[in-house]
Amino acid sequence: MRVEQDVALKVSEHGWLSTYQDLGREHSEFMGVPCGGAADQHSASVANILVGNQRSATCVEVMGGRFAFVAKSPVLISVTGAPADVTVNGQPVPMWEPVCVPGAARVVIANARDGMRNYLAFSGTLATGHFMGSAAPEARMGFPQVITAGQTIELRTAYAGFEHPYLTQPLFRLPVPIPAFSPGVWTVDIVEGPETDAAVGIRELLASRQYTVTPTSNHVGLRLDGPVVHPESLGEIVSHGVPIGAFEIPHGDELIILGRYRTLTAGYPIVAFATKAALPRLGQARPGQKMRFNWVSQQHAVQDYREQQNALLALEERVAKLFSAVGLPLQAAPVAEPAAA
Amino acid sequence: MISLAGVSTDERQAGSRRLREILLDVRPHGLVDVVAGIDSLLVEFDCLQVSHEQLAQTIRLAAAGRGLDGRVEIHAGNQFVIPMVVTEEFAPDLPDVADELGISQDEVLARLEASELSINLLASAMAPMMGTVRFPGQVSRCREPRTNVDSGSVMVAGTSAIIQPFPGPTGWKVIGRTPLTICDIREDPATSYKPGDSVRFKVVPHSEWARLTGRFLRPVGTPDPANEDTQDQEGTSQSAG
Repeated sequence: MRVEQDVALKVSEHGWLSTYQDLGREHSEFMGVPCGGAADQHSASVANILVGNQRSATCVEVMGGRFAFVAKSPVLISVTGAPADVTVNGQPVPMWEPVCVPGAARVVIANARDGMRNYLAFSGTLATGHFMGSAAPEARMGFPQVITAGQTIELRTAYAGFEHPYLTQPLFRLPVPIPAFSPGVWTVDIVEGPETDAAVGIRELLASRQYTVTPTSNHVGLRLDGPVVHPESLGEIVSHGVPIGAFEIPHGDELIILGRYRTLTAGYPIVAFATKAALPRLGQARPGQKMRFNWVSQQHAVQDYREQQNALLALEERVAKLFSAVGLPLQAAPVAEPAAA
Repeated sequence: MISLAGVSTDERQAGSRRLREILLDVRPHGLVDVVAGIDSLLVEFDCLQVSHEQLAQTIRLAAAGRGLDGRVEIHAGNQFVIPMVVTEEFAPDLPDVADELGISQDEVLARLEASELSINLLASAMAPMMGTVRFPGQVSRCREPRTNVDSGSVMVAGTSAIIQPFPGPTGWKVIGRTPLTICDIREDPATSYKPGDSVRFKVVPHSEWARLTGRFLRPVGTPDPANEDTQDQEGTSQSAG
């Protein structure tokens, strides 16, 4: 067993909004508490895997602006999510890779583009409160988890620096599944919803027109500008549970795609669902982002998700082998089956 | 989403509540969580661990094996008496609700107080959603939803009632406010109520507000000195926080 030590991380800039985050709460929705968790679960998972953590470990979600910190002792970090400029003592370092940061070095994440969020993971455990088993914010219930400039984050880590006669960074060739963050129009896969047929013409509209994310969007849901049709002869819908990724058409001419902090019940018709594999990308959508939708079958949706999860498993196994070989700390053995998302 | 076919509204509600209990008890392989609707259940599952068809079959079997036939027995839950204050400030929609139902404001409150409400589900932020209020008709939602309603607000829509545990937006009509804290994440669990419990509302004068403010809601008969309604001496207000 490696010796763990506490490392203080002094935050000097906090971006627009930075929070402690993980993959969210389990078994909380039956109590009326949304699972929450990282909007881009893929990037958050990869960030953790790249530093040898379990993918559900607590990391930092940075939304916009500049996030900067200095760690007292060496730390092993990774930054994932939207393309951004990441520097250590002013020197650019790659995203989507493990990065060995020497003690007292200043790390800056800035200029995120073509997306909204960056995930910053540290090898080890961040000291923070938990609510219903998760560090994910639940601001409405009094658990905001916001990180602000001047704050010191406590990290408990078994990483004590990387030493090699010739290199300052371990050179790994890892099979990292890096999503495409293209600046143009995004294509999002969708499957049928319970009210697709009742909304006559919605199939054709969603398949053929372009939609734009509006500034009223947030972690509860993306609001999109674009043509909609309202379902006919449904009457008043009583409140029913609504899943993440549901396409709702409320009474106004607007399309809402529900996010991980949605209100769990609603009485609006659901005309489509984003596929599970498309959700991480939706978690990166900024106001002004244009998107098109592509109908796929349920089998296709399950298959895409399976491939996405298999890529994470493959990365986990590779990291486990490499970290063991070079003596970097591992918080988790590769899991036998994918964790429930 | 699952709902029971071919039964009355009450049976559907009770049936989905019972099914929810069964699923949380059995926890079929691949089940992630369930979200209760008023008369339906949203079942969340990991599609890599179990297929849609397999899970549907498991749920049918679980339901069949537990005698879920509509005539369900509702488990004896805890009882709550929730004080509420109905001053103009705390009950802004009371006149509207009375107009819509065609009865006086006093009658609206009398009917609410006379109703033994069953908690059907915990909605957003653990809000207890309850039914059925003995109103002579349905209460509509606000034309313009409020962007923020204070915590403790007692609200109605249709023949359901709900309490807002935390400040937030809502389209439901506000007809009173309780001074009690009904959800507190520092408590474990954060609420003392759960689906299946029963609730009565009791209108209390505004003078009670200060004394009861901040107390954590506990069921009737709980030996909690902070929750003893009237026997408490004046001025010994205690906070559960």
